[in-house]
Amino acid sequence: MPDLATDFGQHLQTISDVMSTTSLFSRRDLLRTTSAGFGYLAFAGLSSFATANETPSTDPLAPKAPHFPARAKRVIFLCMAGAPSHVDTFDYKPELNRDHGKGGRFGGRLLKSQWQFSQRGDSGLWISDLFPEVARHADELCLIRSMSCDQPVHPAAQTQMHTGTAQFVRPSLGAWTLYGLGTENDSVPGFISLSPPAGSSRNYGNAFLPAIYSGTAVGQPSRGAAAAARQLPMNTSPVPDLRNAKMTSDQQRSQLNLIQALNQSKLEREPHRQDIEGVIESYELAFRMQDAMPSLVDLSDESEETLALYGAESGPTQGFGRQCLMARRFIEAGVRFVEVTQGGWDHHQNLSTALPNSCESIDKPIAGLLADLKRRDLLKDTLVIWGGEFGRTPAAQNGDGRDHNNKGYTTWMAGGGVKGGFSYGSTDEHGYEAIENKCHIHDWHATILHLLGLDHEKLTYRYAGRDFRLTDVHGNVHDQIFT
Amino acid sequence: MRLNPSSAVANTLALLVMATCFALTARGEDAITPEQSKFFESKIRPVLIKECYSCHSTQAGSAKGGLRLDTAQLSQLGGNSGPAIVPHDVDASLLFNAIDYQDFAMPPKGKLADSVIADFRQWIEMGAPDPRQTEVSKTNSTISDDDIKRAKQDFWAYQPPKPVSAPEVSDAGWAKSDIDRFVFAKLGEASMMPAPDADPVIILKRLSYDLIGLPPTPGQIESFKKAWAKNPDDAVRVTVDKLLDSHLFGERWGRHWLDLVRYAESNGREVNQTFPHAWRYRDYVIDSFNEDKSYDDFVREQLAGDLIPAKDDADWAEHLIATGFLALGPKSLSEQKGAQFVMDLADEQIDVTTRVLLGTSVACARCHDHKFDPISQSDYYAMAGIFVSTATYYGAPASELGLRGSIQNRNLSNLIRLPVEDPNPFDKTYSREEITRIEDEIRNTQREQAEAMMARSGNGGQNQIMNLIRNRAKIEALSTVLGGIDDNGNPISFCMGVQDREQPRDTPLLARGEIDQPADPVRRGVPRVLADQSLHIPSGSSGRLQMAQWITSASHPLTSRVMVNRIWQHLVGTGIVRTTEDFGFTGETPTHPELLDFLANRFVESGWSIKTLIRDITSSRLYRMTSDMNDTNFQKDPENKLYWRANKRRMAAESIRDSMLFVSGELDTKRPRASEVAKAGYMQVRDGNLFNFVQADAMNSGGNAREQMVREYLRQQAAAGGNALDRRPLFDRMQRGRQGLGPRRPGEMMSSMVQNAMKNDRVDMVNATYRSVYLPILRDELPRSLEVFDFAEPSMVVGSRETANTANQALFMLNNDFVVLRSEAFAQRLIEEVNSPEGRVRRAFELAYGRQPRRDEVAAIRKFVDDFSRQTASSDRGLDTLAAICQSLFAAAEFRYID
Repeated sequence: MPDLATDFGQHLQTISDVMSTTSLFSRRDLLRTTSAGFGYLAFAGLSSFATANETPSTDPLAPKAPHFPARAKRVIFLCMAGAPSHVDTFDYKPELNRDHGKGGRFGGRLLKSQWQFSQRGDSGLWISDLFPEVARHADELCLIRSMSCDQPVHPAAQTQMHTGTAQFVRPSLGAWTLYGLGTENDSVPGFISLSPPAGSSRNYGNAFLPAIYSGTAVGQPSRGAAAAARQLPMNTSPVPDLRNAKMTSDQQRSQLNLIQALNQSKLEREPHRQDIEGVIESYELAFRMQDAMPSLVDLSDESEETLALYGAESGPTQGFGRQCLMARRFIEAGVRFVEVTQGGWDHHQNLSTALPNSCESIDKPIAGLLADLKRRDLLKDTLVIWGGEFGRTPAAQNGDGRDHNNKGYTTWMAGGGVKGGFSYGSTDEHGYEAIENKCHIHDWHATILHLLGLDHEKLTYRYAGRDFRLTDVHGNVHDQIFT
Repeated sequence: MRLNPSSAVANTLALLVMATCFALTARGEDAITPEQSKFFESKIRPVLIKECYSCHSTQAGSAKGGLRLDTAQLSQLGGNSGPAIVPHDVDASLLFNAIDYQDFAMPPKGKLADSVIADFRQWIEMGAPDPRQTEVSKTNSTISDDDIKRAKQDFWAYQPPKPVSAPEVSDAGWAKSDIDRFVFAKLGEASMMPAPDADPVIILKRLSYDLIGLPPTPGQIESFKKAWAKNPDDAVRVTVDKLLDSHLFGERWGRHWLDLVRYAESNGREVNQTFPHAWRYRDYVIDSFNEDKSYDDFVREQLAGDLIPAKDDADWAEHLIATGFLALGPKSLSEQKGAQFVMDLADEQIDVTTRVLLGTSVACARCHDHKFDPISQSDYYAMAGIFVSTATYYGAPASELGLRGSIQNRNLSNLIRLPVEDPNPFDKTYSREEITRIEDEIRNTQREQAEAMMARSGNGGQNQIMNLIRNRAKIEALSTVLGGIDDNGNPISFCMGVQDREQPRDTPLLARGEIDQPADPVRRGVPRVLADQSLHIPSGSSGRLQMAQWITSASHPLTSRVMVNRIWQHLVGTGIVRTTEDFGFTGETPTHPELLDFLANRFVESGWSIKTLIRDITSSRLYRMTSDMNDTNFQKDPENKLYWRANKRRMAAESIRDSMLFVSGELDTKRPRASEVAKAGYMQVRDGNLFNFVQADAMNSGGNAREQMVREYLRQQAAAGGNALDRRPLFDRMQRGRQGLGPRRPGEMMSSMVQNAMKNDRVDMVNATYRSVYLPILRDELPRSLEVFDFAEPSMVVGSRETANTANQALFMLNNDFVVLRSEAFAQRLIEEVNSPEGRVRRAFELAYGRQPRRDEVAAIRKFVDDFSRQTASSDRGLDTLAAICQSLFAAAEFRYID
């Protein structure tokens, strides 16, 4: 076969070259001029933002002004899949210890916590011995001990925690956040979910919001502490199709120039095409992602000291530690919303051995994350959220376990404009049900959006003839937890 | 064995084990005789009060395990473990199980006297007559009869389409049909003119993508251009006829329907069970579009195919398969309360029925009256009664053991046996010896299981529990094998679908939608605002057939309008009612109400012929307009509501994938038999893989089934792939492709190969060359080639898809193996067909874009060739360069937009 490349040179010599090669490399400048005035209309669905934004942008991911001044600019959501026990960790119940062995309200025998609670920090927050490292940051934590949701089974409750409803397919909290605020790094997705459980795409999905607001899954599904420790080797490519098996980066840049030249040619012929601009943008972001993502997820440039801070070098904390560290790197790089999932909290049995293992795997990593954010001055406007889809019963199950309990449980927040060393709300004497300052999952969503400067009643998207919002027709902002 | 219909009925019914049959009992339906009353008062009630109420009653304020025994309804509702009382069924009644100290032991302080236990048995067997009734919840509707009457009078969508004729217009011969006259008149009112005709190549591309989802060939373009020059109307007419006659048409239009009916081959959610027979419904839909089945028949078959007369067994089988429409939805299989599951299932069926067929959301009225439309909660429960009186079959065949399922699946279901012999092609025949071995294996496992249960202490270790789960999965797999074959070991043919229950009954309205707050039963029927009279439901019938007849009656205000609006949207880009699933008060009003009625009337008059309507629309002048910008018109009507130009559209994911295969010369237009999911059989999908390891392990005790299966799969892929371009060994390519990393370490070869195959290829189907509509559609695990381009979320009713531009799409086009392979095949094709490099580039543009390259494009390619060849040292430089050009043509915007 003749060498095609040489032949091309000869054959194409005769065809005049009207294309200025330099214009190939200044696409973005060109875009700015061609897109003026158009584009916005094609995003008619975003019109509910018109009030917040005086000058609409054609880029749906461009940073947007919030509805009112934000306390937090970004979110790290530490999602504990499987539902950790609240009465053994952050919801101190002396009456449960007192009534140990008595009949529970809904059957079974009350089971006291085997772990010692003590008051931590200057604030004196009650935290159990299961979280010695996190407890050192007690004065940063805002415990919400009056959570409730409507779903008593895991997948449904997980979905409600992420989207507000288990019944319908709705956008997730992260997608709403990205829709509301845009992102600050155009080389990485604005919403990243690290190691989401398999089959949970709904929990980071965009549903009816434009797909650009969807979470991007990074890494392998997480199942539990042991599995997580084996995952995500330092140099794995965690995003699909991020690497080309055939081409070098230079070759691919040449190819991208060709693709963009074809796109550009079409756009010049049809200058009003906002959709073609979108294609051009998508290739640029993709190419930048190919560059940016591998180094972002490659932890080898972190110091020994930092790796140790997160427990990311080895041992049971390695898996979650790396993910927390990666979350910090993403946040630092301008990603708006990062979720880190840790599974394995469904302790129906073997509570006395399994729960400490689970806690150990996250304790140091979370403490490391809080410390690292603080010393980088990021904690003040980064909202760190910790919680599972529900809590567990004060009564025993299988002797040494606890069943699901969705009427009362604890989540906590830190940084991003919440009161540190603060305990909010409470459950009944044993921890079955939220009784004071009840924070339903809708309220929790409303509160989180509020911290981000978004009014949950105004953050709407028109779909199928109706304005949808994360909190549907519910949601109260619990502003007592704000600084 | 060929079954005659009556024996097939018997077989069908015999197989229908009513696992999910439990429904809420309407009060007072079965009168209690004085003897029964005496029995209850003397032998049952005192025991309940003395032994049970303290922990299980509203009056004692205790509901351990979620169970309350105060009333008949609450007892039947049961607690977290299931219904406490199932009338006539001692085995299913957990209360009996508990007092008999089987799985539960109640009362805990000591077993009741044998005579008392016998009394309970007798009581349940006589139907558990129980005078204790839950106090009826009072509900007040906020929607009065007057409201409904007014809405019927005033709201356009609740009145039947009016007879309309096209307006007179002086359009200087622009209009080709009445459709054009309606559009022209509206434009005229706004002082606007329609856009001129588009280039004939663009029109042909529209026709080809719109009707069959594939691009025209260069040859077709040439002949169309010639025909257009002679007579544009004839050119369009002949082309449309040819496309409508092609079997490719049903594959394109069937998929539109599959989007709507949330078609999938697995359940999704927490128990992602496969539906190995769902493909029959898929093929039914495609075939129905191809044969231009009248839409009213099409709808009737899907709602009530089991209840309408059939010509012969084949016809009957088709009708049964059609009812898969109601069975395919995602379900909360782990739901613990049977009654809750029944109501959730009915809710899903109401939702799909009303939104797909009527453009109305009745499911909004489950917990309270509809907030916007005049649809009350009692309207909802009138419909719910129809579906609750219907049994849905979505599971796996029962064996003599009955239905067996995994720990997580608490709502097992059977399948419907087809009256024809047409088994899944991957189901095998079992010899007597094999059957015996399976039966032995089940017995052994059961014994092991029973012993483990006995030995289980209060503090069962994790291993013990894992063993129990594994054994249960094994029994499930083996039982399903036995259930799927007849006495001779031959596979039985099944489908998913519905049947009427034996005792249909009205469902009580549930206050706030809560199953433990029943109000009065509501007579089965349909929303009053949409119907002139109530349904006449013969006794013993669910009412489903009558509902289907009502929906498909020619005078129904919504059915024809909703469907013509969908067809219009697929061809024109936006609906006349833009909210295709909402024709209610919150939906948009039609931009051209008369045109909508005109089309609806024509649709019904043509015998509900979809192809006729497509012919009408595609032969209009409107369809031929250019999509070019016109600043003046844009200022007046930026959203193009009046259709002053054609809409530019992003192609569907399937068209993008199929077109790559078509252009590369690899597309196999033969329908593959069944589906990858049928091949995998009954299993739970995890991590996007379809390897049925549980069954494989259960069938071959010993040996490493996992490695063997993956090896076999890869061997088949390599053999079937036959990709001339594929110069690298498959394993090697997969290694490099997936990991993008340096040389592999020998020891890791197998395990990472297995991982890779498991993770991606089985569902992504990178090597499959058949049309996208036949790819496995698993909920939560879509093939990447479809998912990245906004494929319809298969858990939702999707009338119009998103068309976003995402970085994921770009990454897919730049790096995915599927695209790389197609590009290489495309390049190979060009080399075989054309000699000169320049000619190859021209040919590439003709095949991919249906046109010659422009000068600036040639220049860009030249520059690329210069750069790329400098950067490339490989001996295959020529082929690699051409392949990279081909990939760029796929990747660029023009390939995915229809102008």
